[in-house]
Amino acid sequence: MSRNSGTVTANKATVTSDVPQLRPRDLLTKDDCLELFRQLYLARYFDVRLIKEKRLGHLTGTLYSSHNQEAILVGSLFGLKPNDWISPIHRDMPAFFLKDIKFDWENPERMGMSIEQVCSQVWGRVDSPGRARDNWSHIGSKSKHIIHSTSMLAGTIPVAAGVVYADRLNGGDAVCITFNGEGSTAQGIFHEAINYAAVHKLPVVTVIENNQWAYGTPVDLECPTNDVADRAKGFGIPGLVADGQDVFDVYDKVMTAVEYARAGKGPSIVECKTFRAYGHGDHDDDRANRYRPKEEIEAGRTRDPISICRNNLVALGYLSAEEAEKHRADGKNATEAKNEDFPPEVVAYLSKGIDFALKSPLPAAEEGAKWVFREPQ
Amino acid sequence: MGIPGAPMSAVADPNVLVKKNYVTALKEALFEEMASNPDLICQGEDIGILGGAFGVTEGLQAQYGNARVVDMPISEACIVGSAVGMALAGKTVMAEMQFIDFISCGFDQIVNMMATYHYRTAGEVNMPIVVRGPAGAYGGGALYHSQMNEAWFCNAPGLRVICPSTPYDAKGLLKAALRDGNPCIFFEIKELYRKREIMEFLPEEDYAIPLGKAVIRREGSDITFVSYGQNVYHCLQAAVELEKLGVRAEVIDIRTLVPLDEDTIFTSIAKTSRLIVVNEAPMTCGFAGEIVARVSEKAFEYLDAPPMRITRLDTPVPWAKPLELHVLPSVEKLVNAALKSVKF
Ligand SMILES: Cc1ncc(C[n+]2csc(CCOP(=O)(O)OP(=O)(O)O)c2C)c(N)n1
Ligand SMILES: [Mg+2]
Repeated sequence: MSRNSGTVTANKATVTSDVPQLRPRDLLTKDDCLELFRQLYLARYFDVRLIKEKRLGHLTGTLYSSHNQEAILVGSLFGLKPNDWISPIHRDMPAFFLKDIKFDWENPERMGMSIEQVCSQVWGRVDSPGRARDNWSHIGSKSKHIIHSTSMLAGTIPVAAGVVYADRLNGGDAVCITFNGEGSTAQGIFHEAINYAAVHKLPVVTVIENNQWAYGTPVDLECPTNDVADRAKGFGIPGLVADGQDVFDVYDKVMTAVEYARAGKGPSIVECKTFRAYGHGDHDDDRANRYRPKEEIEAGRTRDPISICRNNLVALGYLSAEEAEKHRADGKNATEAKNEDFPPEVVAYLSKGIDFALKSPLPAAEEGAKWVFREPQ
Repeated sequence: MGIPGAPMSAVADPNVLVKKNYVTALKEALFEEMASNPDLICQGEDIGILGGAFGVTEGLQAQYGNARVVDMPISEACIVGSAVGMALAGKTVMAEMQFIDFISCGFDQIVNMMATYHYRTAGEVNMPIVVRGPAGAYGGGALYHSQMNEAWFCNAPGLRVICPSTPYDAKGLLKAALRDGNPCIFFEIKELYRKREIMEFLPEEDYAIPLGKAVIRREGSDITFVSYGQNVYHCLQAAVELEKLGVRAEVIDIRTLVPLDEDTIFTSIAKTSRLIVVNEAPMTCGFAGEIVARVSEKAFEYLDAPPMRITRLDTPVPWAKPLELHVLPSVEKLVNAALKSVKF
C-alpha cells in the first residue's frame, strides 16, 4: 500500500450506479468556486496564524495543524444544508466556523460558529461555546448542529448516528458528517457505530482524513485494507476515495455520499487521501522530521490544495492569470507565509476574532465546580 | 394503569388490586413513561421482538413500534453512544444492558461521552438517559452474570447511580430517573425480578420517588446497617436474628448512591452509635468504603465502635455455590459483625 503521497491511486467507489451523470461540481457556479478558493485561504490562514501565535507564546495547548488538509474540510462542508450536523475532530478546528459559512461569513444566524467563538476557545476564554471547560476542538453547539467531541477517537460516530436517528424520527432529513483520521478507524467504536448506522440506513457520512500517519504510526500499521475506504465493504455500504488535495474531488465524493444518505439509502465512508504537513501536534514537529523520511515529507507536500484549486479555476476561466498570482500562500510553511499571501478579507476576518478573544475574560474559578448535574428544575 | 395487552395475573377482576413483582413494576414504569413522554426511546439487545432477556420490555414494541423500541446490534458502546446522540437531539432514552456486567463494553461512552456532556458544554446539553440492566450475584451467574459494578460509575462525576430493592421503588425510581434529565445508571437486582416474597401493591396513581432519599426499612437503636439492593434483605434477616440476641438493628436502604442521603445515615448513627455498611461489590474502593469515609469525616463523634464494611471479598464472583457464598456477604457474616461491633 502506498502511503507516501497524497495522490489517489484508484477510485474504488462502489456506488457507481448511484453516481449521477453530472458530477456535483458541475452544478457549482463561478461564485461558488471562487468562494471555495477563498475558504481554502481562510482555513490555511487560521492555521498559519495560530502556529505563529503559539510560537510567540500566546497560546497554551497543543496545535493539531490542518495545513495541507484544508480541501477536505472545505470541500466536505460546502454542500451541506444549514440543518445538517457535523462532528469534527482534533485536526478540524476550522470546521467550526466553516460550517454554513458560504458567502456570509459575518451572519450570526448562520448554522456555524462565529470566528469570535472559535478564537475564544483557542485562547481558553469564557466566550468559548464551552466556556473553556475542555480544550481545543472539544466544543460544539446543539443549536448550530455541531457535535461536541471528546478526546476518544471515533467516539462521536455513534453519537452522530443517534442524532440523525432522532432527526429522522422527527421527520427531518438532516445528514451528519463525521470527520475521522485514518488511525481512528482501528477503534472498535468506529466499526460498531457504522455497523449500527448501516443496519438502520442512517444518514451518516464518515469522512476519513487519511493523512498517512496516526501520530507516529503509518497507515499500513493501522489498517490492513488496500484503501481505508475498503472497510466499507464489511458493512455493505459505499466506500469512496477522494483526492484530498483537490477541493472539487472532495466535494464530488462527499456530496455523492450526502445525497445518498439524504435519500434514505444509508451511510457511506469517504476516504480523502492527503498528507500531514507537520508533526502530529506542534509538540511533535521535531520528532516527526526524524520518524518520517525526508523524501516522504517532500512528496507529500508537493500538492498544495490551494495551488490545485487555483489551477482548476484558471482552467475554468474563473480566474485570470493575473488574479491567480495575487496571493501565494500555497507552498509556504507557516513561518514563511505572510499576511500579504492571503486575501485581505481573510486576514481581517480572523484578526477580528482574535481581537475579540483577547478581550474575553478567563472563566471565573467557581465555574470549575458547576454543571456536573443539571440545576434542580 | 398497567400494561396494555400484557397478561396481568391470575386474578380475573381487573378492579381487584393485585400484588406485583419487581419486573412488573419496571415494566409498568416503562409503559407509562412511553405513554406520557412521546420523546422517549427504548433501545437494547433483544428488547423488541423478544421483549428483553428478562422480559422487562415485553409487549413494549408491539405497543409503541420498532422506531421507538429498538432492537440494537450487540454493541453496548453503540447503544449508549447513539442514546447520547438522541439526547443531543432532544430525546429521552432508556438504554438496556442485557446484563449489567456487559456495561464495561460501553464504558467509554458512559464515563467520557455521556457523563461529561452537561459539564463540558457548560449546561447547554442535557442527557436524559437511563442505562439500566440486571445486576447482582447469589444466583449462580458466575463471573460475568453476577457483577455489581456500581462503584465505577460513582467515581465518574455526572452520573446518578440508583439501585432499587422493592417493586415499589423499582417503579418509582425508574420513573424518577427517566424524568431527571441527568444520565442515570440503574442497577436492577435480577434475583428480585420475580421473587414472590417481595411482591407488593403498587399505587394506582402515577408516582415517582425523589432521587437521594434513603428509607429506613426497620427501626432499631443499637446498630445501623446501611445497604442497597438485595443485601438489604440480608440486613433485615440479620436484624431478626440479632433481635433474638437482644440487639436491635436499624436497616437503612439508601436506594440511590449518587446522590446519597447522608442525613438519614447520620441521624441513625446519632441514635445507634454503630455502623455496618453492606454491599455485594468487592471491598476495595467499593461504595461501602465511601459511606464509611463520609461517616468518619462528618459523624465521627457519634461513633462508639469502628465502622465496618461487609462486602464481597476482593475476588470475582465464582460459579459453584460454595465458592459464591463464601465470597459474598451473608446473614451469618452480618450477625457476627454486629455482635463484634456491639461488644467493642
Ligand atoms: C481512544 C484514543 N486513543 C489514543 C488517543 C491519542 N491520540 C490522539 S490523536 C492520535 C492519532 C490519531 O491519528 P488519526 O486518527 O490518523 O488522526 P490524525 O491525527 O492523523 O489527524 C492518537 C493516538 C486518543 N486521542 N484517543
Ligand atoms: Mg492520520
